[in-house]
Amino acid sequence: MRSQSLKPVARAAAFTPPRAGILQRMRKYAPIYLFLLPGTAIFLLWTIYPLVDAFVMSFYHWNLNGPSTYIGLANYQQALADPIFIQAMKNVVLYALISVPGQLIFGLAAALLLDSAVRFRAFFRTLFYLPVVTSWVVVSLLFTYLYNSQAGAINYILYDVLHVIPGYIFWLGDENVALPAIAFMNIWKGIGWTAVIFLAGLQTIPADVYEAAKVDGAGRIQRFRAITIPLLAPTFMFLVVMLVIGAFNTFIQVFIMTQGGPNHSTETVLTYMYTNAFANVDFGYGAAISYLFTLLMFVISMAEIRILRRRSQY
Amino acid sequence: MRRSIIILLATLMAVVLPASSMAATRTAKSSLSGTVTFWNTYSPDEKAALEQKVIPAFEAKYPNIHINNLTLPYDGTFTKLITSIAGGIGPDVVRSDIIWVPQLANINGLEPLDKYSWFPSLRKAVFSGPLRTTFYHGHYYGLPLDTNTRVMFYSKSMFQAAGISRAPATTTEMLADCAKIKALGSGKYCYSEGGFGAWSIMPWVWSFGGNLTNKTFSKATGYLNGKGTLAAVNFLLGMYHKGYLSPNILGGGIGTWDGFGKNYAMILDGPWTVPFLFKNQYPSSDYGISLVPKGPGGSRSVVGGEDIVMLKGSRNKPATAAFMQFMLSKQAQTMMGKVGQMPVLNALAHSSAFPAYYPIFQQQLKTAKPRTPSPEWSKIDDTFTSQLSTVFHGNASVKDALNSAARTVDGLLH
Amino acid sequence: MKLRRFADKSFVYLLLILGAVIMMLPFLFMVVTALQPGTYVLSIPPNFWPSHPTLQNFVDVWTANNFGRYFLNSAIVATTSTVITVIFSSMIAFTFARYTFPGKTPLYYTMLMTLMLPTLVLIIPQFVLAKNLHLLNSLQGLIVVYSAGIPLYVFLLRGFFEDIPQDLADAAAIDGAGIWTLYWRIMMPLARPALATVTIFSFLGNWDEFTWALTSISDSNLFTLPIALQFFQGQHGTQYGLVFAASLIVVIPVIAVFVVFQRHFIKGIMSSAVKG
Repeated sequence: MRSQSLKPVARAAAFTPPRAGILQRMRKYAPIYLFLLPGTAIFLLWTIYPLVDAFVMSFYHWNLNGPSTYIGLANYQQALADPIFIQAMKNVVLYALISVPGQLIFGLAAALLLDSAVRFRAFFRTLFYLPVVTSWVVVSLLFTYLYNSQAGAINYILYDVLHVIPGYIFWLGDENVALPAIAFMNIWKGIGWTAVIFLAGLQTIPADVYEAAKVDGAGRIQRFRAITIPLLAPTFMFLVVMLVIGAFNTFIQVFIMTQGGPNHSTETVLTYMYTNAFANVDFGYGAAISYLFTLLMFVISMAEIRILRRRSQY
Repeated sequence: MRRSIIILLATLMAVVLPASSMAATRTAKSSLSGTVTFWNTYSPDEKAALEQKVIPAFEAKYPNIHINNLTLPYDGTFTKLITSIAGGIGPDVVRSDIIWVPQLANINGLEPLDKYSWFPSLRKAVFSGPLRTTFYHGHYYGLPLDTNTRVMFYSKSMFQAAGISRAPATTTEMLADCAKIKALGSGKYCYSEGGFGAWSIMPWVWSFGGNLTNKTFSKATGYLNGKGTLAAVNFLLGMYHKGYLSPNILGGGIGTWDGFGKNYAMILDGPWTVPFLFKNQYPSSDYGISLVPKGPGGSRSVVGGEDIVMLKGSRNKPATAAFMQFMLSKQAQTMMGKVGQMPVLNALAHSSAFPAYYPIFQQQLKTAKPRTPSPEWSKIDDTFTSQLSTVFHGNASVKDALNSAARTVDGLLH
Repeated sequence: MKLRRFADKSFVYLLLILGAVIMMLPFLFMVVTALQPGTYVLSIPPNFWPSHPTLQNFVDVWTANNFGRYFLNSAIVATTSTVITVIFSSMIAFTFARYTFPGKTPLYYTMLMTLMLPTLVLIIPQFVLAKNLHLLNSLQGLIVVYSAGIPLYVFLLRGFFEDIPQDLADAAAIDGAGIWTLYWRIMMPLARPALATVTIFSFLGNWDEFTWALTSISDSNLFTLPIALQFFQGQHGTQYGLVFAASLIVVIPVIAVFVVFQRHFIKGIMSSAVKG
């Protein structure tokens, strides 16, 4: 965050005498608040109020069309004892463990390649970025087709053409494979975004740092380890936080491709919350799930920032 | 500058004030006029018959009523319906799977019909079996609209290639036929089933003498984990391990319809399959229909069908009632019957207006059984599906999985 | 030495081409399938080139399935909510960048915190709120909720407004111009590149939004493209030729917007990372 003190402060202050009284202060700030009002109103109404409302709902057996009953912590107790909820929590963590490193590694590789390519860089960048701008609904439908276990193109290429798998894989039908399969698709979709962000980070590294290291006789790998990696640390931190949030957000792809199946092996916290709220009309339970999830999310994000900050200190 | 502010304010108002111009408004007008929104999950052929024949006939009779038809895919519609009811934005009338009715009635989403003066005569006009599916906690929440069950469809060309002369009459014969079909080569499967839901699996369970619950639908232990159920699941699991049963049962493979005749020699399905098979590249002579192969419990299939229900939130109940009555008229029932929607009127029981393939479905219906009518049905079905999936993935023995399923379902039945 | 550099370069391009092929292959299958006649396209081996290419699938989707209407709904919703988002978020960002006032820090940090929330966790209370405000089953309901995604854009735009040289703003302020003039006449024109970025981001997000539309819309005349596409797939099962023709109708505008404006787009993404 940039420092505020560097800027001439308070434009409005220039027009009012110092030590203003309440009325004058009101007059001074009124235009500013008026200016903030429309956007802030929408924000407060559709984000902050729902946030508070969900908290309240989570203590009720919520009835949308009649009086609701206060049940204290029962929804939370139910969630913590619900094997499907626990499984969904584990699933999103596994999903993040696959999709985040995958996007980081391939994204960095793509960024390094794009960075060293002089010609056609924009062209390749566009190709890598196309999956990012393609809607999740379309990507999910497309991969349902490609992942078909008996006649899909992916099995065909991996087995019949490349012979790298021992037989056709039941991508979306096998409890042990379905979640990783969706995570692989996520890697494919996310590489472009990760690469562009890495590219931005790479371009902030001054070229003369590399030149100096070269003069000192540092090899390519040494330069990568001693210069590129440490100087990319802030970018890396940003990416990890964003990608983990993204992985935890997983909903559409599961909703469309497997509906959480087979046997809840691809159930994510959000699909489970959605089912409870909108298929079982248990809004209070859904709200409790989303609150537990928000809490977890927050703790993880903070922990990531802390750990990564400490790492990048030296 | 002033103009910009006005534009800004106008935008803000357009957003904040729920104007009626863009919203879907359904205003209730005087009786027997206005719009009636109808949701259903008809197949493309049935949808065409509805929109091109039934609705025009109704609108000719009631020129001031407009039917707003929405045909949705089966998957996802139940959730969509529940969500819409919760949000007060549901349709007026729904063609509901019989198994949804107790669940919809339980969340107070349906209008009880027994208080209406037109109800008793219709009640007497329909088959009593299907009528029972609309009864919940002392009230009738709908009327049957169509009935069906699953029978065996087999590919004559695949049978011929494998040297099989006729459809298997028993599960033992079926196993023998399957060995021959397997010999046709890789990618060819004797039998394909779309999933582990009760709709898919229960015909086999009942045919092996098993059951989901006791007769009064109050207990699963001793039935869902009983000897017959165990035998049925072992039968299917054996078929799967031998390569007779397509792995598409796990999900994410070639669908039963897509593979029928090419990859799959036999499938179980309902009457709506016939128009589909006629229309899509299969010469009509290439498939045959027969009863579900007989097991120790007989040849048993699952009762399917739909009820027509009025939603409590309907804003145009008189017009909706008129539409429901029309859907149960001989005229509409015959129109829909010709495209595979088996009628439910006593008056049409022996009508000759219907397709030649109906008798076999009617015969199968005589021994078919209903699934558990329960407001917790979705969860029961989910439990059943999950446990069977575990078995097929080799993560639990059939016995343990069924014991566990029975325990969970017991809890849901109370 | 030269040879080695040539080898290096060739290696880089080889890998780039390999990567690009992997990234593009799924799209190839989508386009090939959409251009093929016949409903049953699951076959081994899959076609890498359309056999008997035809545009019939596109015609069927557009004419027989009301996709024109869905396209219009999507366009209305995405455009309106994008305009609102850009105006409101730029107003807030401008105020944050140029003024101090009581409550500024808490408001800013509240907005930042909500960026960490998965947006979907709010869908339950939002549904209840929309029901009470009669915003379910209406396009306005979609517009309002999409416009509530302001914090991200406030965050992005604030930096741009801070980067605008002070003397430009000072020159205007001398004339005693108010906050509105300063914003509309001075800052907005200067921030045009940044606004372009935010506009594209916001538009793509709104165009693709699925879950809220799925949950809040039950009238088929109000369907937007993503939910229409999902229902369409449900009805036509594995008639992938039709499904992918419909998918391409959804995707092509987005790809067009991206290719035309990609300079702004990539710049915006890069700056969000560097600033963050």
